[in-house]
Amino acid sequence: MSRRRKNRSKNSLQALVHKNRHSILTFWRIIKYGIASFFRNAWLSVAATAIMFVTLTIISVTLISRNVLEDTVADISSNIEMSIYISQNFADPEIVSEITESIMSLDSVVSVTYISPDQARDDFRAEATAAGDIDALQALNEATNMFPGTFNIEVTNLDDLSELEYLVEHDELIIAAIDPRHPPSFLSEHREAIDNIAGVVVFIERGGVIIAAIFVVISTLIIFNTIRMAIFNRREEIYMMKLIGANRSFIRGPFIVEATQYGVIAAFITAGLCTAGLFIINENAESIGLVVEPTISMLGSYWPLALLGLIGVGAFIGVFSSFLATQKYLKLQ
Amino acid sequence: MILLDRVSKSYGKGMAAIDRISLHIEPKEFVILVGSSGAGKSTLLKMITREEKPDSGKIVVGGIDYDDLRDKHVPHLRRKLGVVFQDFKLLPSRTVFENVAFALEIAGMTNREIKSTVPKVIDLVGLNGKEKNFPHQLSGGERQRVAIARAVARQPKILIADEPTGNLDPKHSWGIVQLLEKINAYGTTVLLTTHNVDIVNKLQRRVITLEDGRVSLDQAQGGYKQ
Repeated sequence: MSRRRKNRSKNSLQALVHKNRHSILTFWRIIKYGIASFFRNAWLSVAATAIMFVTLTIISVTLISRNVLEDTVADISSNIEMSIYISQNFADPEIVSEITESIMSLDSVVSVTYISPDQARDDFRAEATAAGDIDALQALNEATNMFPGTFNIEVTNLDDLSELEYLVEHDELIIAAIDPRHPPSFLSEHREAIDNIAGVVVFIERGGVIIAAIFVVISTLIIFNTIRMAIFNRREEIYMMKLIGANRSFIRGPFIVEATQYGVIAAFITAGLCTAGLFIINENAESIGLVVEPTISMLGSYWPLALLGLIGVGAFIGVFSSFLATQKYLKLQ
Repeated sequence: MILLDRVSKSYGKGMAAIDRISLHIEPKEFVILVGSSGAGKSTLLKMITREEKPDSGKIVVGGIDYDDLRDKHVPHLRRKLGVVFQDFKLLPSRTVFENVAFALEIAGMTNREIKSTVPKVIDLVGLNGKEKNFPHQLSGGERQRVAIARAVARQPKILIADEPTGNLDPKHSWGIVQLLEKINAYGTTVLLTTHNVDIVNKLQRRVITLEDGRVSLDQAQGGYKQ
């Protein structure tokens, strides 16, 4: 009884080893034929890899552009002056400190810096001296200091200035201190410019995702169709393999391996060309007002991850497309 | 070996491709299936290879009752059959060796077994020295020999040859038929369809004639009746 049980377990173990060996052998053959087919159908491979390269480039450029635009907008935003001007009568350290505290108490405010009327005049003089503006220097010497005290405010979100507006319109001390000749910048004619920039920020943040998604879908459809056409041309092969008795995975496997190669090779080419493109744009970035440096620095730090991501996307599109494209012909008896 | 019992198949209303055909083919037999175009030869073969399912009737091949055959087991059935086509159906991007080896690979044979079997089969069909050639580098006759090598590499009990000489000149055609006879002599049942009168008359084997989807004549040692 015990010997019979031992024999049975030995047989099932042998069957399992045989099955595993068969699976490994089949897997190896699928890889081998997938690679061989890539080289033997050279023109088809070149064409499909080129289309895959275009697809990955569209995806990469979309993502990189979004990043660069976001950095550019952030840079523009940080340069916008959100200022409150107070009369010289209120430029007293205690009042300044009180107003600074009121502004800093707002959640939407990141920082506040105060420039006194004297400092503003000194800064103006320095600028005029540097620019050689003799008229301005002469006027400065003859006139009394008319510069107001200035609070420069950095906010978290340009799109939401409601807290700051409410404070300026309801805080009694600030209402009294504001220089009547210089209303706060965000309530004056600058308001339109600020709103425009805020609109761009929102568009890039929300619209960028939608545009990127549309590009990804379109380019995926293009490569899917290319792979579908390539497999359509070889449908007779699939039919023949079925008639000989090959199972689905053995027929489909080499096609998937082949399409994966399109993705991997295209990913390397895309990574190389996009990096080169970024460096070229960076050289002229300042003149066209783009901020590319943070994107280059980020890609410099995370390039293995970015490359892996690109390879992953390319391989996924290849696997997904060839899987679906072969499905149709595998369904036939 | 092959049993068909009142098998019918039609495509659309009133278009019976096969009409209640009953046949019995013994092991090791060499059977020639003849008939004009549209007589039902190809449909009959397609039902044996399970490319088509009959509307009614029973098919048993090599002990496998097709009524009990599930779709997922069809590849296993086909591995037990050898099939040769008029248009060869070789894998264009694979060499002669790889085309023959493919039949063995899908059966799960090891590389060592394949390396030992394929040269013998290539030798059997007379293609020594052409192992590394691609199909487009071969003549029609040679391509058909590769197709036969691939079909017999697994030593199937049944070889189905659907007009294997249809695209060949008389000299190469006769060479292919001789090869099929040789394979039959090793014990394989051969079912051959052809339009070639000379081949049918020369072979003097069992001839089944189909007309309008029915068996009109079944001769033990027949010729081509036109």
